[in-house]
Amino acid sequence: MIVCTGLAFRTLAIRELTVPPGHTCVIGPNGSGKSTLLSLFAGIETPESGQITIDGEAPRRTDVGWVGEFPEDNLIFRTVQDEIASALRFHHLPDCELEPRIVMALREIDREDLRDARCRELSGGEKALIALAAAIALRPSVIILDEIDSHLDRATAEHVQRILPSFSCTHILQSTQNMDTAAQADNLIYLEEGTVRYFGPPEEIFPALEDTPFYPTLWRFARCNSSLKR
Amino acid sequence: MQLVLEEVILSRKNWSLRAHGTFTEGIHLITGRVGSGKSSLALALAGLLEPSSGSIVLQGIHRHTLSMQFPEYHTTGHLVREEIRSWGLEPERICMEAGLQGRERERSFALSRGELKRLHMSCILAGTRDLLILDEPFSTLDPEWKHRLCRKISSHHPPLTLIFTHEQAVLPRVDYLWEIREGSLHALGKVPEAILSWKGAPRYIEEAVRRGALPDNITIEDTEEALCRMED
Repeated sequence: MIVCTGLAFRTLAIRELTVPPGHTCVIGPNGSGKSTLLSLFAGIETPESGQITIDGEAPRRTDVGWVGEFPEDNLIFRTVQDEIASALRFHHLPDCELEPRIVMALREIDREDLRDARCRELSGGEKALIALAAAIALRPSVIILDEIDSHLDRATAEHVQRILPSFSCTHILQSTQNMDTAAQADNLIYLEEGTVRYFGPPEEIFPALEDTPFYPTLWRFARCNSSLKR
Repeated sequence: MQLVLEEVILSRKNWSLRAHGTFTEGIHLITGRVGSGKSSLALALAGLLEPSSGSIVLQGIHRHTLSMQFPEYHTTGHLVREEIRSWGLEPERICMEAGLQGRERERSFALSRGELKRLHMSCILAGTRDLLILDEPFSTLDPEWKHRLCRKISSHHPPLTLIFTHEQAVLPRVDYLWEIREGSLHALGKVPEAILSWKGAPRYIEEAVRRGALPDNITIEDTEEALCRMED
């Protein structure tokens, strides 16, 4: 469980929030605090007041695989191989373990062709994918993705969504502006002006957003068809 | 007014893109997979990347600009009002357009990324140009602002507007579709007929076509209407 109590940080104010294990999507308008909340879950920021625990530990004592919203900021090494190996080296894994983990991570994202590429030559979407490969190579217990799909084409974004459940991590936390993607999560956190307006499974949350642009497109079409059939 | 690509080749180490065709007046949507070369082609069309061979000819186009994928690449003003003034625009009006009323004195990079994108798109769409090249204009915008941007593009677009995107949820009405695949730019033709040969279409369009409906255009509303029409 991720438990937030009396959380305050910048514009974010969350009194109580308990997120069960599984895939949770964070949605909401621009500026509502999605990236801020994810950076707190990742331990990149620490709250001004209040507390966050992930399965009883502080975020900074948890292995987190993080893909930030700025693709340029995710990559700091010259080559793709060094980038993916970086998290493993920081955790002092022996050299003999690096190669298979790099190969596995690139295979997971279906981009083994990028193995010898230089990071600065990658497109925006490829940078996001390599950041994901670096995040999963460590086999973290928590994966946090901040709008990774905004950098990806449909086929690639769908591939990422397909492979996410195969990682043996306790929590996948993901912000997205694609409500059809959010509809596939176990739970949603809908943020508005720094507070949690809704929390729960998609089938409970989206009906409250039916008359807004935050309602999933494919659900809208299903609704159209069923009303016509009646 | 048109933009002509004559046997253009863009290349680097293990990658190349071939582009041949003419962008005539209207709104063109260009899609492609990650790393297919959308941003490289956008840069080349804006004159910021030299093709390895071939030529790009701007006919009757005197004023043009490129909006890059990441709004932070454009941001030069420390404060929001300075950023807006750097475009020669009036801060209060643009802040109103971008839903950032009263935030003129905030630091540009203190805005969320979506807010920065809104600010940038409001600045770029306030200008008068013959050719506007938009690289991923919808990226990081929330669904409501994506819809607003679509309406803005439809009502205020320059004579020749090129939109490079992999957006899957909210798209504007367009005149022509193009797709980059297998290293080449393909002209799919005029909408709606072009929709049928669009391999990277969003799921909602693919689903409508699968059910036998051909939308008049590529927006959610057009697609929904086509589905409803089919059921009638």
